[in-house]
Amino acid sequence: MNSKNIGLFAVFIYTLLVLVPLWLALDRLIWIAGYDVIDWIQSLERNFVSEGAFEFTLLQATISTVATLTIGIPIAWQLGRYKWPHDYLIRSILTMPFVMPSIVAAMGFLHLIGENGLDIRSDQSTWFATLIVAHAWFNLSLVIRFCEPVLSTLDPQMEEQMLLLPAGKTKFGRFRNLWFPLMMPSIAAAACMTFVFSFTSFALVRWITLGENTLESMMASIGSSAGINGYMISRNDIILGSSLIQFTILLLSLWLMSTLQHKRQSRLPKASESIVKKENSAGWFIVLPAIIFAISPLITLVVSSFRIRESSASGTSYSWSTAGWEYAFTSTNSLPSAWDALFNSLGYALVALLIALPLGWVLAQYICDLEKVRPRLARMLDVFTMLPFAVSSVMIGLGVMLGMIRINAEFFYSLWLTPALAHVMITTPFVVRIILPALRSIDPMYDECARTLGISKFRRFFTIKVPMLRGSILIATIFTLAMSMGEFGASWVVTRNSDWTTLPIMIDSLRSIPYNNSLTAPAANAVASVLMLIALLLFISTEKFRPRRDGGMF
Amino acid sequence: MKNRIVLLSIFVSTMMVAGCISEAIEDSVNGDTTNPEEYVWEDDGELVIVTYDVYGLTDAMLSEFENQTGYEINLMKLDDAGSVLSHLMQHKGVQIADLAIGLDNTYLQTAIDNQLLWKHFANISNIKSEALAPYNGPLAAPFDHGYMCLNYDTEMVDGENLTIPTSLWDLTNGEWNGKVAIPSPETSSPGRAFMTATVDYFANDEDNQTDWKDWWTAMSANDAIITTGWSEAYETHYTGGYGEYTEGYVGDAHMVVSYCHSPGVESWYNGNWTKSAALDLPRAAFHQVEYASAVEGGNLDAASAFIEYLLTEEVNTKMPTENFMYSVLNDTDLPEDGGYRYHSTVPTMAASVSANDIALNMESWLEDWNDAMVAA
Repeated sequence: MNSKNIGLFAVFIYTLLVLVPLWLALDRLIWIAGYDVIDWIQSLERNFVSEGAFEFTLLQATISTVATLTIGIPIAWQLGRYKWPHDYLIRSILTMPFVMPSIVAAMGFLHLIGENGLDIRSDQSTWFATLIVAHAWFNLSLVIRFCEPVLSTLDPQMEEQMLLLPAGKTKFGRFRNLWFPLMMPSIAAAACMTFVFSFTSFALVRWITLGENTLESMMASIGSSAGINGYMISRNDIILGSSLIQFTILLLSLWLMSTLQHKRQSRLPKASESIVKKENSAGWFIVLPAIIFAISPLITLVVSSFRIRESSASGTSYSWSTAGWEYAFTSTNSLPSAWDALFNSLGYALVALLIALPLGWVLAQYICDLEKVRPRLARMLDVFTMLPFAVSSVMIGLGVMLGMIRINAEFFYSLWLTPALAHVMITTPFVVRIILPALRSIDPMYDECARTLGISKFRRFFTIKVPMLRGSILIATIFTLAMSMGEFGASWVVTRNSDWTTLPIMIDSLRSIPYNNSLTAPAANAVASVLMLIALLLFISTEKFRPRRDGGMF
Repeated sequence: MKNRIVLLSIFVSTMMVAGCISEAIEDSVNGDTTNPEEYVWEDDGELVIVTYDVYGLTDAMLSEFENQTGYEINLMKLDDAGSVLSHLMQHKGVQIADLAIGLDNTYLQTAIDNQLLWKHFANISNIKSEALAPYNGPLAAPFDHGYMCLNYDTEMVDGENLTIPTSLWDLTNGEWNGKVAIPSPETSSPGRAFMTATVDYFANDEDNQTDWKDWWTAMSANDAIITTGWSEAYETHYTGGYGEYTEGYVGDAHMVVSYCHSPGVESWYNGNWTKSAALDLPRAAFHQVEYASAVEGGNLDAASAFIEYLLTEEVNTKMPTENFMYSVLNDTDLPEDGGYRYHSTVPTMAASVSANDIALNMESWLEDWNDAMVAA
């Protein structure tokens, strides 16, 4: 097979794996709900379960974005403009929340605001603020990653020159005429991504703001009764309406983001960090709280997994014990042990990696090759591989459940691999996005040179391409593993009707056990601690291979 | 150009294959139903139970069954009774479960109408007529029952802070704003049971101007707390129960939909003390019966064996203490100790809605309920 055929084959596999399940699901939902698109949208306000969900989603995503920028920009400024001891470590701590699975964040914040923490949980008016802060915690790293490189490498001469000009005399003037236009594209790109993540937030909303739903969490809660002919038909309208709204808004944000990404690649005079950065001890007032903010939910989580609550009418006391851990790691008839969940999670992550990495790579290579001969077709394929970004993970889960399982339920239920399919659907587009820029940046000269030397195709691949892509491949690998291990929305829909559980789903089910069992919270936190540790290990390994100044989100 | 055509044709052809497959599935789902004589199943030594958090299915009890019969139990726990029915509906014709535990008399008929259940051949007798009243047939065996009531916190609803309601309309008053927690009839069986009771309550009250839908609209306007399931309503929101000793407690509701014997359970746990009481309003209580049913296409041997086991004296008489529900066996009652029976209310007059009415109207009631809630 030549490389073009391999490329076409990859497109075929991708279509089959990623789009067919979604197509089948949509087909079924539409078959039941009918084709009236306006009716789908209107059904959201016609039904009690979905009433207000869109407004809530939009409101919290907007406020979350503003809050993330408000917290994130000063931190990025401090990190970018000033020297810090162990600055590599500080940066790692502050960007680490982004790789934490959302369910881990949810458990962490639940305990941070619980009665052993800030003790504000019982006051419902704090829930919304907690959600916003949790989203800010989660997306802080986006602001840092996007903005900090611009700040830390800008030649100081620019600011010195500004000082001499009338428009740059005042601080405000320099802000308006230098920093603002300079940072705007980066800030806006970070804002777009934060908005996307907050808009589709599920685990945090599910656990923190009881009684309020985002479109995503609402779809998840009604998903189990969707796609059934002649039963709860309105559910199908609601799901179609919400996913259409999600699709439109996510696509718009992604388009905006990609436009801004192009703008960011402007040519500015750059200087070495050591010239740019100065000392600033006052900055500790920003950096130190930021570090505490980044690690406190995680520390609380680990600590509370060892705290067992004893309560009765006579009062409440806490004791230190490993009973929660034992409970989580023991299998019973009604609950698998966390070992099973760990095994499944690791297995699915590996399967997702084995499929998504080669598939994403070949797709990226094909796009890259096409760009030289047919740029418009390449652009189409590029967008095509990004489509799953605009589909929320709950919808992907519904796709797998309704679509694939409908083909042959018995087969898919007996197949341990089924949940991994959802993970492949979610991770493949990320692999393409990580590998593609790296492929583009390889100078074709190397290959041409090698070819004139008569080196075989096979050897050229392994001795030139693979070593040059090493960093990106490793990042894609670790990212795929981390995404799969922490995946919540799709797995929640797919695995609940099955025997298999994954770590994130197990955390959720443990926490859902009626609370008269005092071990539920510690056990959920124990499993969350394990998942956190895995995410942390994966994160530390990416940090090692990350190009120092890429400024991307990965 | 050629490339684009190839790409497009790949896309179109996969979509066409997908379309064909889904049509084939739709045909097979809409087709045949099995006659009882034609049941075909294979006893694979495994019993897959689809259920929700039914406390009574303890590990000890399940292991005992495994030891006695040699079957291996596989428990699939869903969120609530609604999810159990949805699961069965989703997998019509391709069921994974052998036995469904926890469908109640507000859900059962839908499952029967959709041919999701098989006749079990468990040898059961000695069941109270009360438990057989809503349904008496081989498609479902009752295993526990109880009455749904409004419960209130006597420390808050003491006539000073809040007055004890004498009519459901009282709950639409300003003093109850945001203080009543009700599980949603769309997702939870206690919620469905309570909604059904309101249909009867308002059909029989003196007021002919308003009906049950108006009451729900008024409740929605009065910020009633509608939760997905019973446990969120009772544990997280209700101030009168054990929720306040648990994590995640909010405690903003002094009235909740629960069982008429829930205060008895509280008392039994607390050594004969509770601040919770059931509100005994005529026709505002609903008699709920929960069933175990063999699932179509499942392992009927294993399902029948488990139903039989569930109804043995040894297992079923433990319902009040293991499952916090009444046993369905003749001559059984709640235990006296810990004030269990003393603090449990047997409603003077429960709502009387026939199983037939429920079966005929449930879908439209749920639609009306939804419209009433949105109208607020």
